[in-house]
Amino acid sequence: MALIELKDVSKLYGFGDATTLALDEVNLTIEKGEFVAVMGPSGCGKSTLMNIIGLLDRPSHGNYRLDTKDVSKLRPNRAAKVRRDIIGFIFQSFNLLPRLTVLENVALPLAYKGRAQSKRLKQASAMLERVGIQSREYFLPSQLSGGQAQCAAIARALVNNPKIIIADEPTGNLDSESSRLVMELLSEIHKTGNTILFVTHNPELTRYATRVVYMHDGSIIHDEKTAIGRVASTARKVLYSLPQTDEEDDLAGVSALMKALPSQTATRKRSSKKKPAKKRTAKGAKK
Amino acid sequence: MLSRTHLKTGMQSLRGAKWRNFWTMFGVIVGVASVISAVSIGEGIKMQIGSQISHLGKNVITIRPSRIHGKNAAGNLSILAGTSITGSLSPDDVEKVQKVSGVETAVPLSATIGGVVGEHGSYQDGLVIGTSPDFADLVGQSVDYGSFLSADDMGQYTAVLGQHAADVMFNEGIPLGHTFMYKGKEFIVRGILSEFKTAPLSQDANFNDAIFIPYDVSQDLTNKTAPTYEILAKPAQAKTIDATIARISGTLVKAHGGAQDVSVLRQDQTLANSSQILDLLTVLITGVAAISLLVGGIGIMNVMLVSVTERLHEIGIRKAIGATNRQILGQFMVEAVALTLGGGIIGVGVAYAIDGLLRVFTTLQPSIQWQIVVISVGVSLVVGVLFGTIPALKAARKDPIEALRSQ
Repeated sequence: MALIELKDVSKLYGFGDATTLALDEVNLTIEKGEFVAVMGPSGCGKSTLMNIIGLLDRPSHGNYRLDTKDVSKLRPNRAAKVRRDIIGFIFQSFNLLPRLTVLENVALPLAYKGRAQSKRLKQASAMLERVGIQSREYFLPSQLSGGQAQCAAIARALVNNPKIIIADEPTGNLDSESSRLVMELLSEIHKTGNTILFVTHNPELTRYATRVVYMHDGSIIHDEKTAIGRVASTARKVLYSLPQTDEEDDLAGVSALMKALPSQTATRKRSSKKKPAKKRTAKGAKK
Repeated sequence: MLSRTHLKTGMQSLRGAKWRNFWTMFGVIVGVASVISAVSIGEGIKMQIGSQISHLGKNVITIRPSRIHGKNAAGNLSILAGTSITGSLSPDDVEKVQKVSGVETAVPLSATIGGVVGEHGSYQDGLVIGTSPDFADLVGQSVDYGSFLSADDMGQYTAVLGQHAADVMFNEGIPLGHTFMYKGKEFIVRGILSEFKTAPLSQDANFNDAIFIPYDVSQDLTNKTAPTYEILAKPAQAKTIDATIARISGTLVKAHGGAQDVSVLRQDQTLANSSQILDLLTVLITGVAAISLLVGGIGIMNVMLVSVTERLHEIGIRKAIGATNRQILGQFMVEAVALTLGGGIIGVGVAYAIDGLLRVFTTLQPSIQWQIVVISVGVSLVVGVLFGTIPALKAARKDPIEALRSQ
């Protein structure tokens, strides 16, 4: 049985004329133990997808089954409990509470579960040891380097033994050395049987993934399984052949990104021609 | 659900901004301190009056012109009744009261102001009270130096001074045998009374400032115009005091041709008048103080509302890692309650400080009762819950994504 099962999931923001379609009938099934990299230009709906999978948001339409249970219409309090028990979040900007020590930060999800303080801190400490920054227990987040802060955030995400870990650009704010550290850590966690979804703009990082999902304009336009240690073919294309627009394209308003995509997106290509504004998002993908 | 965790997280976020929190609590501090102070001052005055009365003895009957007690022309209660002398008691009344069966002794008090020249010149502070030798016994007042007026002093130009009067009028500490001038006569100081217990707002003249001279002398010197503002009577038997009061009352009404212009009261009944005024004042001041408590509560609500907006990101993080709405609500409620409760407790401390200062620098002796402390701290707690709810609900209902996005 699939761990995550999205069926025709759409997400709309705004009202009337200002309505934007953030997710357009997305279908996605993720099995237990997969290590999924989600890629795509800014504004393509990656974060919305992560939020919906992570139960921070509810789909406007469609059906979402998490661990075989329908969670598409959960009340906020129920959703919070599911988040607490089976989902761990890792953010680009770490999102550690600045006034709590690293240890207290890591222990926080356990506090919301109602664990006793001593037990909480012990468990948090063990988790910090696992991510290798136990010596920083009593530091404040502001006293940590970016890599250490992200390790603490990973420890916090892991402390409840979640089934799924959702990382929204975990290496976005890190230098390459720290990025490597963080990805190695995630990869280790994956080996112990966790399901991990992560968003990235860096094609190199698809080496760690078992599967790459490529999104554009709220839809999944490419989905491939890759071997660990290899850069996904889609990502390779993005990496090696992407952002080149010539003058002709600029004049025609064709998105450079569209050119780089696999051919099956021909229909989309046509539609995007009508919207020259899209080009800016394409450039965003260069990063 | 307010668990220890809530308490801890709440306190942690409060610790961050000590000064801001202090000023936030300030309204509540002022409110609680003023409520407690107002009530305790009122309570203290009542106790002082009470002790004055118990000092005089409950079995003393006070006879006063009732116009003094009643309302004046404008219909207002006259607070300074004891000194605004419009008496309708006469020396004859004194004799009549003396003869009523069941009365052991009756002591008149007549008063004139000023006209006294001591060693420091004219003495303006106190009354010259004409009274009879039994006065000191009747009110249970002892004499520090010399002796009180005796039967032999009647008709003589002798005087006994209240302690304060003795200090002000003479250079010497114990001016026994010294003289002062009053209405052209030279009076010899025979004795100095020990200090009277006084109470603020009391209807009795301040005897510490008074000069006591023989009653007949005071009448002679003023051509019988010195008004007798009070007659104190002691019943022969304490048990029959009420019957005695009725008889005195009857006698005087008859003597005054049927006019009910005299009130005959037991000492504890004279308290009722002062109490009434005091209660009114206390309620008034407490009301104003309560409003400041309310304003303090609103101040806290405002700060909490700002705090919720400021800490939106934190709320987002907490929600993302699994905090339920109720847990967020709890956290912010704890913060609001901690602020008001802290303010309440500091306010109690301030009230005790005010109490101490008043005792040192004024004649007031505020008495802080534990009940009012409990009540005002309780009220500050309720204020916290009341005004903490709105910001806490606002925090709890934030959309996690929106909250996470804000920085």
